[in-house]
Amino acid sequence: MKLDEINYVFQNLIHRRLRSFLSVLSILLGVAAIFALVSFGMGIQAYVDEIAAKAGVDKLYIQAKTMGAPGTDPNFYLTQDDVDFVEKINGVAEISPMYMKTAEITFKDKRKYFFIAGMEIEHLDFIEEAFTATTEVGRPLKEGELNEVALGYNYRIPKKIFDKPISPGDNVEINGEPFRVVGFYEEIGNPSDDGNIYVTKEAFEALFPEWVDKYGFIMMSAEDGVKVKDLAEKIEDKLRKHKGQEEGKEDFYVQTFEDALETFNTVLAVINGVLVLIALISVVVAAVNIMNTMYTAVLERTKEIGIMKSVGARNSDIMFIFIFESGLLGMIGGIIGVILGYIAASIGGAAAAAAGFSSLQPAFPPSLIIMCILFAFCVGAGAGIMPAWRAAQLKPVDSLRYE
Amino acid sequence: MTGKEKTILDLRDVWKIYEMGDVKVPALSGLNLAVKKGEFLSIMGPSGSGKSTAMNMIGCLDVPTKGKIFLEGHDISTMSESDLAQIRGKKIGFIFQQFNLINTLTAMENVMLPMIFQGVPKNERVEKARKLLEMVDLGDRMHHKPTELSGGQQQRVAIARSLCNDPEVILADEPTGNLDSKTGGTVMDFLRKLHEKEGKTIIMVTHDANVAKNADRTEFLRDGKIIKSMRKTAA
Repeated sequence: MKLDEINYVFQNLIHRRLRSFLSVLSILLGVAAIFALVSFGMGIQAYVDEIAAKAGVDKLYIQAKTMGAPGTDPNFYLTQDDVDFVEKINGVAEISPMYMKTAEITFKDKRKYFFIAGMEIEHLDFIEEAFTATTEVGRPLKEGELNEVALGYNYRIPKKIFDKPISPGDNVEINGEPFRVVGFYEEIGNPSDDGNIYVTKEAFEALFPEWVDKYGFIMMSAEDGVKVKDLAEKIEDKLRKHKGQEEGKEDFYVQTFEDALETFNTVLAVINGVLVLIALISVVVAAVNIMNTMYTAVLERTKEIGIMKSVGARNSDIMFIFIFESGLLGMIGGIIGVILGYIAASIGGAAAAAAGFSSLQPAFPPSLIIMCILFAFCVGAGAGIMPAWRAAQLKPVDSLRYE
Repeated sequence: MTGKEKTILDLRDVWKIYEMGDVKVPALSGLNLAVKKGEFLSIMGPSGSGKSTAMNMIGCLDVPTKGKIFLEGHDISTMSESDLAQIRGKKIGFIFQQFNLINTLTAMENVMLPMIFQGVPKNERVEKARKLLEMVDLGDRMHHKPTELSGGQQQRVAIARSLCNDPEVILADEPTGNLDSKTGGTVMDFLRKLHEKEGKTIIMVTHDANVAKNADRTEFLRDGKIIKSMRKTAA
């Protein structure tokens, strides 16, 4: 029965189309913003989950405590002694240190600065698993190669790093030394990682003799059945004692991959949350606007309410009509808002990809679409409760007399 | 009037007192009125005589300050607004001076509206509304909105609407008040037809003696009380 009143409701919204439009407009902007922001949040979450699944939850690493990225401060580093010590700790399955610093790469007389990683090739599979990337074009580095280099994804894309793309077999210079490019890694999804330069540990030591035995970080995996978090604590504890440092004053820290991803996630969630909160404020404003529209509608239709009551409408029928009408305003705003948010997020995703952040992509699960529309409906309906209550309480005699 | 039919509506010592600040203004002062089933009654009186208030009481649009109103033996003077709404929807058909149609709905939808509130299924509603509109000679105007109809046509839509839930009582408040005499005459013809052919109970409020003449009985109201009662002599 209730649904039969829908036509009446629609007719009323059409009848005062300008005011309906304004109310819809006010809520659709908020919904569009929320939809776009949450779709990004969900997209990033999905990306992080994917990385976590690929890299595995058994990985952890030790990193020198510096102010910036590993390898940017020569005063903080890890040594082979640390590696040898940690390797003996129970529960550590595989371990591999990595050199990391910035380097100058030259191709066809153009110079750029990016991170260079010196890898232990005997642990290449392990490293690649942790990096969640493998060579996509060409071949991986081989043990003992001193003048060969593997590059990140962006080097083979024109105008990303160099105007001209680099191909396997091309020659580049790293800090003035000639290197032959043997392969390229697949896309990781951010401009920093996709600009990485990969050489063997030996090549790195030859390039930067002053950096020998100064690792940027050490990657490890836990043995099956060992809790990674417990292992991280154990390593931190033992290594601190080994290095004779006080608790809280270590020059290194141990972190699990999971924690690192979680930290990354939390930061993003907070930023996203703040933005959604701002968008929510606009929704509150929209609710007030809808409430105002509905109060006007009640006033305007006082006589109609009287007519409906005289032909048998109960208070609950009147309540329903006005709440539904208000909810419908919200829902129309929600639907248009979702469409607009979808377009905005898609454009945003394309822009991020163009800037090298291909990992920064929105996700549009059906649940998000439904939730946003439902939310808009509820905001509208909620805003309509008070006006609807007022409408329902009108006395038939008085409202029939109203002109 | 045979006098044998049962009483359908019975107002017993009904008072309605409005409070205007500290002053109490009685609109009805002990109104007594009994209407028999199938009767065509008109209530006449000058403005301020309590006609409208009486009409509101009979139509269950308002409850009396004092006294009892029985509709088919049920006391409606103490009912809640929701129960009154149900009674209005089921038992009473309203015809107003200003037609009181909903302008955003078509003639058809206006006629169907009271049935919606009674939970009548859609196909039944459409069927019934069509029949009623055809009965008031508006079969070709079913999908017009009130603003596209003349006053007489609008009042006929209102008549159709008043009949859609097969009410016991049709309550007409100055039904020809906003119409010229010719269209007013047509509307009255329909009301009389309803009374004569369908045996509907009709209570009509008017200040026009010519219109009141259509009724079997006319009650004259002044100062909230019946002062005179007049029966139509058999023609």
